[in-house]
Formats: sequence, structure tokens, C-alpha cells
Amino acid sequence: MYAYISVMKKVTTAILALVIVALMALGYYSTAQHRAHGESHELNPKETIFEHLGDAYGWEVPFNHSARIPLPIIVKGQDGWHCFMSSCVADGNTHQGYRISQSEENHGKVVQILADGSEYRPLDLSITKNVAGIFIAAIVVVLMIMAMKRWYVKNGLKAPKKGLGLLELIVDFVYGDTVRPILGKNAPKYAPYLLTVFFFILTMNLLGLIVIFPGGANLTGNIAVTMVLAVITFLITTFSGTREYWKEIFWPEVPMALKCPVPMMQIIEVLGMFTKPLALMIRLFANMMSGHMVVLVLVLLIFIFTNLFGVAVGGGTAIFSVAFTLFMLLLDTLVSFIQAYVFTILSTIFISMALVEPHHEAK
Amino acid sequence: MELFTPEFGLVFWMFLAFACLYFILAKYAWPFIIKSMEDRATLIDNGVAYAQEAKSQLDNAKAEADKLIAQARQQQAEILREASKLRNQIIEDAKGEAAVEAKKVSQAAQVSIEQARKESEKQLRQEVGEIALQIAEKVLRTTVSNDSAQKELVDKYLSEVETKN
Repeated sequence: MYAYISVMKKVTTAILALVIVALMALGYYSTAQHRAHGESHELNPKETIFEHLGDAYGWEVPFNHSARIPLPIIVKGQDGWHCFMSSCVADGNTHQGYRISQSEENHGKVVQILADGSEYRPLDLSITKNVAGIFIAAIVVVLMIMAMKRWYVKNGLKAPKKGLGLLELIVDFVYGDTVRPILGKNAPKYAPYLLTVFFFILTMNLLGLIVIFPGGANLTGNIAVTMVLAVITFLITTFSGTREYWKEIFWPEVPMALKCPVPMMQIIEVLGMFTKPLALMIRLFANMMSGHMVVLVLVLLIFIFTNLFGVAVGGGTAIFSVAFTLFMLLLDTLVSFIQAYVFTILSTIFISMALVEPHHEAK
Repeated sequence: MELFTPEFGLVFWMFLAFACLYFILAKYAWPFIIKSMEDRATLIDNGVAYAQEAKSQLDNAKAEADKLIAQARQQQAEILREASKLRNQIIEDAKGEAAVEAKKVSQAAQVSIEQARKESEKQLRQEVGEIALQIAEKVLRTTVSNDSAQKELVDKYLSEVETKN
């Protein structure tokens, strides 16, 4: 039986390797086709990196530089709302007076071409690659957590196994070992937010590491995404602040000289209110973006060296680059967990600081 | 830098997506999941406490049973000892009674033997007396038929009586 399984594993591995090699060959073939048609353009590392880190209308498919999965573009220009697929404006086409700008100012964004030929930046609510990625991540999280809930509905208090067991372990790690000890009796009130944030960030982080379709969007490495999360934490912190919390900000227990004629402490405390969510935002964004950037740079090294020194050097670089990329991706997997956890634990701590009770002086 | 300027569209959709996600999960999933996990933790804790209690009770029961058995053994030994004592006593008593009875019987027998002996003695004496008298008669008859002899005899008796007095 065991021998049979090990043989099966070997066969599976061999098939997988063959598929990967075939896909690589296909990719090489399609690139060669492009070259043959003279579509090749100068390698621009900076542009390539920022193109991969940034947002896009349409989702890339593997081994093809031009084909994109079309996504809806929703814009409100000077002539009202427009809604069309991103494929309509691909390859520099203009559709209903809209096109993707190539100008310095609005590079890569959908703009409206006005009558005088100038570009107008419309209100852009397009389902871009990142927005679609966010929806996919949200759906994945809902499916995961609902599967867990269904288990409890169906099996009562039996312990879940396998994947759901892992999920429960993580929930228990976040709720039982972090949120509950820090927030105490307030834990049930804030736990849904904190757990949702944790799983949402974790899913977005991990989806970002998958290079092909359902993944590949650099979500948590985008400042808009982390900003929304940080602002929500800030709002919760501010609106659940106790009297004591506000008192410590506007009339802290420090020597009078520090707070009365010149409100030095007050300024520091008020700044502190905003630096905390700002730190949350920047930390997650910078960690995830830099991870993606290092991987991109390592991969681009292959092409840079190939361009500079030829195929042999490029091939040699490929070995090192792939090894380091693998290492970086494994590290990013770890970082995905760590950053999701750090965001959650810091949000928990900020909320617990806002829920501070008066100190009892008469001790 | 495009990377550091948040896009309004992305912020809008992100907020919407997160809000939907939060309301779905907070309403339908998290409270139930947390409650289930806590219920299970309580159940397991209770189970452990129950098992410990049951074990201690079982240990106690064993000790109690051992104690009871020991007690029972002791009682049994006591009862056996008492029974053997009683038996011995009964035997002793029976022996004593038997001895007394035997003594009584033998005494009665002796008395009756004595009586019988006395009776028979008496009888014998009578009989002997009678026989002696008959013999004496006979002797007298034979001897008294001769006068001289008679005279002699009377003399003799007389002398005897004289000597006695």
C-alpha cells in the first residue's frame, strides 16, 4: 500500500514537472513570437516593478504580455456615468471618449478626452485588479469562516479536523491567546472586528503571493487598502474612548508647567492619537510591498544580466535568483502571518488603551 | 509616486468590501464560533474535573471495599474463634455433665449393688443359719441318741457358759 502511494507520488511529481516545463516552453515560444513580430521593447526595470506592484485595469494571464482578463471600468466623467469592460480601452483604444492615459500626470489611469483634446481625470470607481482581488479575498474569507461555522452547527462541540482544525487553531490563537487576555470582559464586543481584520489581511497577504489569476494582486502592499483598515481601527478607538482616555489626552497627570501655559503634553498626546493608526498603515503596507519588490527585483536580475552580458550569465543568474526568490517567498509567507497578527494585536492594544479605567489614586 | 497616493476608487471599494465582510461575519459567524469554542473548552474542563472526581471516588471506593473486606475477615475470624470456643465449651460441659451423670449412675449402681449384697448377705446368713440349724439338729439328733454323749454335751455347754461368764 505504502509502496503504491510513494509510486503515485513520484508519478504525480513527474507529471507536475512536465506540465511546468511545458508551460515554460510555451512562455518562451510566445515571447519568441513577440520578438519575431518586432513587438519587443526595451527592458525598463523600474516601470516593470511599479507596474507589478501597482493597480491595473484587467488581470494578467500567465505567459502572455498583452492578454488581460477584462474587468469592468466604472467612471463618472463630465458627461455622467460610464461603464464598460477594460478590454475596450486595451492597447491604447479610445472607447466612449475614454482611454488609458500615457501622460506623465495620469499614467495608466482611465481619462476622459475632452473636446479640446485635454485629459480629464473622472471619478474612477472601476473594478480594477486590486478591487477584484479584494472581492476574491473577502469571498474566500467568508467561505472559510462559514465552513467553520457550519461545522459547529452540524457537529455540535466536536473538534474539527484537518483544514478546519488549523483554522480553529488560528482563531483560538488570535482570540483566545491575544484578544481575550488584552481586552478582558470587552473581548466579545470587539472580537468580530479583530478576527475579521486578521483573516482578511492574512488572506490578502497570502493571495498576493500567488502569482497567477486568483492571486497576484498586491493588495496589502497598497496604501489605500491599509489606510482603510487603519482608519477603521482609528474610528473604533476614538469612538470607544472612555472619559479617562480623553482626560489623559487633554489633561494628563503631569507637572502643571508641561500642560498649562503651553499645551505641550496635549499636542504630543493628540499627535499620538494619529501616529498610532499611521504606524499601522505604514507597517503593513511597507512590509508587504517590500517583500513583493524584492521578489520582483530578484526575478528582474535575470533579464537585466541577460541584456547586459548575454544568455549564459543570465542563465547562471537564474539559478541564484530562483533560489533567492523561493527563499523570499517562504519568508513572505511567514511575514504574511506575522503582519496580519501584528496589525490585529496592535489594534487590540489601541482599543484596550481607549477603554482605560480611572486609576485609583488612594492606594 | 503612485504607490504612496491612495486611489479613491480603491479606498471606496475596500471600505465597502470590508464593511460587508464585517457585517456578514459579525452577524452570522464569529459570535457563534467563539461561543462554540468556549463551550467546548468548558465541556472539556468539566470533563477533566469529572474524570478526576470519578477517579478519586473510585479510589475511595476501592479503599472502602478493602476496609469492608478486612472488617468482614476480622468478624469472620472472631465468629470462628467464638464458635470454636463455644464448641469446646459445649463439649466440656457435655463431658462434665456426662461425668456427673456417670458418677450418679455408678453411685446408684453401687448403692443397689450394696443393697443387693446386703440383701443377699442377709439371705445368705438366714440360709446359713437355717442350714446350720438343720445341721445342728441333725448332729444333735444323732448325738443325743446316746445318753452319755448327751450328758457330755450338756456338760460341755454348761462349762462353756461358765467360762464365758
